[in-house]
Amino acid sequence: MLDVHDLTTSYGPVKALDHVTFSAPRGKVTAVLGANGAGKTTLLRTLSGLLRPTEGTATLDGTDLVDTPTEKMSALGLSHVPEGRGVITELTVEENLRLGGLGRSDRSRPADMDRIFSLFPVLGDRRNANAHVLSGGERQMLVIGRALMANPKLLLLDEPSLGLAPRIVAQIFGLLRSLVESDGLTVLLVEQNARSALSIADFGVVLNLGRVVVHDDAGVLAADEKLRHAYLGF
Amino acid sequence: MQQLLTTALTGLTLGMVYAAFALALVLIWRSTRIINFAQAPMAMVTTYVALVLIDAGLSYWIAFAAALLAGLVLGAAVERIVIRPVEGATHINAVILTLGLFIVLNAAAAVVFGSQYRSFPAPFGLRGFQVGEVNVALTGFGIFTIVSVLVVMGLLVALFRLTDLGLKMRASAFNGEVARLLGVRVSGMLTLGWALAALVGSLSGLLIAGGSLVHPAYMDSVVVFGFVAAVLGGLDSPVGAVIGGLLLGVSLSVVSGYVGSELVALSALLILMLVLLLKPGGLFSHAAERRV
Repeated sequence: MLDVHDLTTSYGPVKALDHVTFSAPRGKVTAVLGANGAGKTTLLRTLSGLLRPTEGTATLDGTDLVDTPTEKMSALGLSHVPEGRGVITELTVEENLRLGGLGRSDRSRPADMDRIFSLFPVLGDRRNANAHVLSGGERQMLVIGRALMANPKLLLLDEPSLGLAPRIVAQIFGLLRSLVESDGLTVLLVEQNARSALSIADFGVVLNLGRVVVHDDAGVLAADEKLRHAYLGF
Repeated sequence: MQQLLTTALTGLTLGMVYAAFALALVLIWRSTRIINFAQAPMAMVTTYVALVLIDAGLSYWIAFAAALLAGLVLGAAVERIVIRPVEGATHINAVILTLGLFIVLNAAAAVVFGSQYRSFPAPFGLRGFQVGEVNVALTGFGIFTIVSVLVVMGLLVALFRLTDLGLKMRASAFNGEVARLLGVRVSGMLTLGWALAALVGSLSGLLIAGGSLVHPAYMDSVVVFGFVAAVLGGLDSPVGAVIGGLLLGVSLSVVSGYVGSELVALSALLILMLVLLLKPGGLFSHAAERRV
């Protein structure tokens, strides 16, 4: 579904992504793991067009992503929830969600905010509140809900567990997993919290200094103790 | 009683003019976080466009519409040509460019349109009316001024609060990168913001010119008071701009009428100081709630 081949992105002389090659299969969760500075965020930002690669290709169901401008990504079915969540705190919860729906690919169907409220009831309770009053976990639910408003085929998530209590992380990850099962959503999940990520992932890609070290089933990665100690911190 | 009424009404009308100018400033600030120092000469140029058409024999209203249209075009052009090239750099670069544009437009207007003082028509008449014994210092043109600014303010509030386009414009201003990821054409929204602001600025230029004399520097007296009105209201709020303008207009009119016109400029700045001491963001600012 997502095919990345020899993708190379540089910040000046520094190669943040070095000939990265992998595929993320449809309807599965692929975790992208590795230490700080491994290139995980750079990978997502390159896929969504915020950064331009110097080499390599990336395609979504055959459609080229490298030459597509960022503004067209959500219409293509790619939704990127960036590092830091990207809640627009000056807008209300409802306005954030409505904004997400404006970029949806299928303009013939109305954007379904009620579905988001049934997935995340706490957002429904706060629908007219300014987004800045939300807690970290609620903000994460808001940005995932906002991304879902566009009916994406591929969801890119950058460190959703950052700063959240373990119980909330488990709740959100559980919800993600059930969305994948029910909607056939494909998820590319960047995480430093490798243990939590691997608990809901089908596949894992481990990056180190911009290069792919390992690309395998999540279960295999979790069982490989040497790999875990070397790159994943547990 | 008579003097109070006259003072208040004069202040109200004048205040609305400051409010229109302040609205233009607020629009650009909201959409781009830039202070447009060239707002006054841009409005002056569009008023001259109207004047050229009136000289050619066309009706006031056609010239009025043409000036507003010229504002839209000029605003979009300034954004694309002057502001867009320095988009990535700090905002101060763009602000300095608007200062430069201020100088260039003033000089160019003098060359193209001439520096002589020209009179400008005021629709609906410049005479007040009488209610029994009392002279009401509200002219037809004054009512037109008040109504047109209120209508524009209402339309802008409706645009930002109720429409999808307004939501996209606000999102583009608050967090451009996130807006892009959500499919918003942010650069187009910025151009639109400038175009709308220049349209409102054109309106203020026409309202100030009505019944008065036009020359390349005629808007400069409004600049200070317009800025004060915008900051008073809290730069982020269109409603604040109008209330700020009204407050300023009425206060200055009272000072001018009861104390002395020499103190008007000083009073404006004193009012500004007082408000900012008590409410630093301006009267209608929200709490600072940026990205966390």
